[in-house]
This record gives sequence, structure tokens and C-alpha cells, in this order.
Amino acid sequence: MNRWFCAALVVALTSSAALAQEKSALKPGFVFPNDHPVRILVFRPDVKVGSQSAGGIVTPMADWTAEARTFLANALVAGKPKGASEIVFMPELSGDDGVLLAEYRALFRGVSDTVLQHRLFKGNRLPTKKTGFEYTLGTGVARLGQIGGGDYGLFITTDDAFGSTGRKMLQLFAAGIAGVGMSSGKHTGYAGLIDLKTGDLLWINADYAMGGNVREADGASKRVAQLLEDFPLQGMPIAAAK
Amino acid sequence: MNLGNLRRFIAVAAIAWASLSVASEPKPFGSPATHGYQPIGVDEKGIWAESDETERELKNSKLLVRDEKLTAYLNKVLCREVGSERCTAARIYVVRQPFFNASMYPNGMLTVFTGALIRFRNEAQLAAVLGHEFGHFEARHGLLGLKSRRNTASWINWLTVISIGAGQYQDYRTAFWGNHYRFSRDQERDADFRGIRDMGTAGYRTLNASQIWSGLRSEDDATATARGVKSLKDSPQGLFASHPMNAERMTYLADEAVKVGVGNDFDGAAEYEAAISHLWPMLIDDQIKLNDFGGSEFLLASLATNGWTGPLLYARGELYRARGRATDVQQSALFYRKATGMPDAPAQAWRGLGLALARNGDRPGAKPAIDEYLKRNPQAGDKPMLLMIAGEAQ
Repeated sequence: MNRWFCAALVVALTSSAALAQEKSALKPGFVFPNDHPVRILVFRPDVKVGSQSAGGIVTPMADWTAEARTFLANALVAGKPKGASEIVFMPELSGDDGVLLAEYRALFRGVSDTVLQHRLFKGNRLPTKKTGFEYTLGTGVARLGQIGGGDYGLFITTDDAFGSTGRKMLQLFAAGIAGVGMSSGKHTGYAGLIDLKTGDLLWINADYAMGGNVREADGASKRVAQLLEDFPLQGMPIAAAK
Repeated sequence: MNLGNLRRFIAVAAIAWASLSVASEPKPFGSPATHGYQPIGVDEKGIWAESDETERELKNSKLLVRDEKLTAYLNKVLCREVGSERCTAARIYVVRQPFFNASMYPNGMLTVFTGALIRFRNEAQLAAVLGHEFGHFEARHGLLGLKSRRNTASWINWLTVISIGAGQYQDYRTAFWGNHYRFSRDQERDADFRGIRDMGTAGYRTLNASQIWSGLRSEDDATATARGVKSLKDSPQGLFASHPMNAERMTYLADEAVKVGVGNDFDGAAEYEAAISHLWPMLIDDQIKLNDFGGSEFLLASLATNGWTGPLLYARGELYRARGRATDVQQSALFYRKATGMPDAPAQAWRGLGLALARNGDRPGAKPAIDEYLKRNPQAGDKPMLLMIAGEAQ
């Protein structure tokens, strides 16, 4: 059995991260209006932080996840997205509103998975999705805008697994003894913006190899800046009335 | 392998071993069912936090059956079974999924699928499953499972890399994962035995635990017969099965039943029926939509062991009408008609009767049935369509 096959096998065995790639897409022609303040409603981010063992199994880490959640929220407020006048967070909801929110979170996940798989990255694009950017959650989402008080909704997902000592040692040995390249750690994330009146997906940005150590305040700021890279701009200011 | 390679192998193996064992991490102790218990150590804290997140989502899920009376009953059964102190550590959720399953999460969240509720014949069978899940919780099987997965995957990777380095690639996956799944099946057996012991202590007839599995095997047969295929109930499930086979569980639980809870005679069939019967229309409806005619017929027949009630006859009509083979619609009309003659007939029985008759071209016969249905259910969502079928102007 040749070494290249083995190398490929080990890579497959260790569930290494996908090829480093980062990409964003914007609904053609969209700019934020500039005739009124823009309120962006942030939904509770999906945050996972874990530790990756030598075998690639991820152990969820409670403290890291809780800290990352706080750091990321603070960083979002501090580093307000370019087009936003104001950032508001969706409050905890229960009862029918809670169910509605859960449904739209799930729907957003489904839609963004589709965009990530079939639109954003080369290699697996559907021929009909190569151009254009027509995705929507439907107008029913307006109810969430009313509840949370926002014009646009921002969804954020980050998934981190830091390579454990064992993983790093195996990485070294694999390279040194077997001549096999192996990744350590997984750091992926994506962010999406929807219009809370029409439900249209306006912008999405995904990165399978993100920077910024989310377990620290500075790192979380860097992560948020990367997630909001290429965030849509506010329209050109209207010329002052003569 | 030459001597140099061998030395290298030993050195690397020693380092691998060291990296696998995490030093100075506090080891969880005591029962997690102790009042006020908090997770101990990084691993347990991690999987608890992860389960908390899942629970948070489940609470707002559309699939959650929000029925306080039902949940209170399930809690009551668990408390009767494991005692009123231990049981408060668990939170039971009913999830609308028409398959036989229940799951325990490390943090005490216990989910029961509606597909399990339709299959239990009595409270003792419910208790067998709740006790099994509670056994997983108390024995920390979630935590041990994570550790086993982690160690398995790490050993595979280390040994694979070493074998490549030694120029003699070997595939360790089958042996190591096979071992992990054997461990998983052992955990299931352990939970089964914990469950049946708790059943025995609580006074339930312990043979019921075994009867769950014999029932599922008969259902497999019924499904296969109606589909004209071979029953899979005794097909080996292979090296990577997470649970022991139903036949095995049926057998060892029957053996255990003569050792624990000897003399117990409480089945709780009437109690179970009283607590669950208001859900049957939904459970049966979901079951019929699985397109498993044989399995559904089998389930209806076992629910009808004490006689065919209005709701059961109605359900049988729905089952036949949904399959819709040549004589099925006619057959369904007979079941609906029988149902309408029962004191506990659901209003939908008249709807089914009307639709079945109309489908067979008997419009004059369909009209009074549909009229009767709309009289009993004036708010029917499909009223305009039904009126059209009955040949009335809207």
C-alpha cells in the first residue's frame, strides 16, 4: 500500500477540517437604507467550543463555551457591523413565541446549509445557483422583527475544537515518523443577515478556517470582525437638501 | 518489523499512552441522581452543558408534546419505580416521533417518543423503559461512552500512524470500533438489568420487560408479511450494533424476571390506558402515516384485545382507506360504519364513512354521513371540500 494512500486515509480518519476556504455572498443591489436608523436584531449565537482528541473526537467544553458566548456578544456590541445604527439582542422567548423562534432558527439553519453547500463554494455548486442570490425565510419572519424590535436579523454560528496535547503530539509524530500531514483543531463559522420584513436572505459569510481564539476577549473580537467581513454597507448618503 | 522500528514503536506507544490519560482531572463520584448534584470534572461538565443546550432547544420544539397531565403521569411512574428522591433528578419530555425509542441525556433529560407510548400495553412496560433510561443516567453511561469513543479513535490514529511509519500499514478500525460497540451493548444490558431490578422493587410484574421485545418482534413479522418480504427480526446486526438484538433482550429479561420481583402481579393496564387514551387518535394517526400496513394492523389488533372500540374501528377504517387497494375502501366503509354504531365513536368516523362511500360512487349514501360529521364538527377545516363531495352547493 503506498504512502499517499495512507496519508489520504489518515486525513480521512481524523475528520480534518475542509480545505481552508472563506467566502461571502450578497443579494445583488442590496445596501442598507440611509434615511432612517438601522436596527439589527441578533439571534442567540450558536456557539460550540470543544477539545479535539488525537482521534478527532470532540469533547464539549462547558467553561470555554460559556466564556466564548459572552466574549462574542460583547465583541458584537463593541464592533458594531458597518451598516448598523443599533444592535439589539433577541430576548428569551417562551410559549408560542418561543416555538416560532425555534422554527425560524431551524429554517435559517436549513437555508444556510443549502447556501453553504450549493451556492457559496466551488466544487459542489448547483448549476442554477451559480449566479443570483434568491433565498428567503418567508414573510412570516416579520413577527420576530416585531417581537425583538429590529429591521434586520443577524444569525451567527461558530464551531471550534481546539487540538488537545495528544492531538498535537500525534500531528508531530505523523509528520516526523510517517510523513503524513494531519490537521489539529477545527475553527469554522458563518454569519447571515435577513430582512425582517420580507424574510429574504441578504448576505452570508462563511469561513472553514477562522482566526481568533474565542476563549479570550481579544480573540473573540477578531473572530467577530472575520465573521462580519464584507458585511453590506449603508447606502451612499443622500445629498443634503439644497 | 526490525529492531530499530520496534524500539521506535515502543517509544511512541509509551508517549501515546501518556497523552491518552489526562492527569489530575477530578473523577465524578456518587450518584448524579443525588439531590442538588452538580457535574464533576471537565468531561462531565462538558456533556452536561451540551445536553442543557439540547434541552433548551427541545423545550421550544414543535415536536414536544405539551401535555401536563401526561408528563405528570410519566413522572409519577418513574417516582414509583426509583423512589421519590432519585426521580426528581430526571425531567421527562414526550417527543412526537412515531418510532419506538426513549433516550437519556447525561444532565437528567429523559425523552420518550410517542411511538413507544403507542406500543406499551401497560404501566409496567412503561416502567421497564423508564427504569432502563434512568439506569443509563445513574451509571453515567453517557460519560463512559464519550471516553470510550475518544480512546478508541485515538488508539486507531496512533497505531495507524505508527504502522505507516514502520512501513507496514494496518487497518485498526474494525477491531477497535468493534470493541467500542461491544462496550455500548454491555451498557445497554447493564441498563436493562438496572431497570428490571427497579421494576421488581416497585412491585411491577417484571415479565413485562421481556414482553416489550417479544411484541416488537411480532410487529416485525407483521410488517414483513404485509410487504411480502422476510422478517428481519433474527438477522444478525453485525459488529457495530449499539444495542443487543431484541431476541437476546427478550430472553435475558425473561430469565431475570423469574429472579427479581417474584410474586409481583401489578401490570397497571387500566392505569396506563386511562393516562394515555386521550392521545390515541394522534398516536394512531401518526402510525398510519408510516405506510406500514402490517405493523399498524398488528398494533391496532393488540390494542383491541379487550374488544374493538369506536376509536380503534375508526383507526382501522383510516388504515384501509389510506392503503386504498381494490377492496380496501369498501372494507374501510364497514369499519367506519361499525365505529359510528359505538357509543365512543369519534366524529371523524362519519367523515371517513362519507369519504369511503363517495369514493366508491355511493353519493346518496355519502351525503348523510358527511352531514352528520359536519353537525358534530361544525368547525371542520375541510368543510367546503366535504360539501362539494356530498354534492351540495357551497
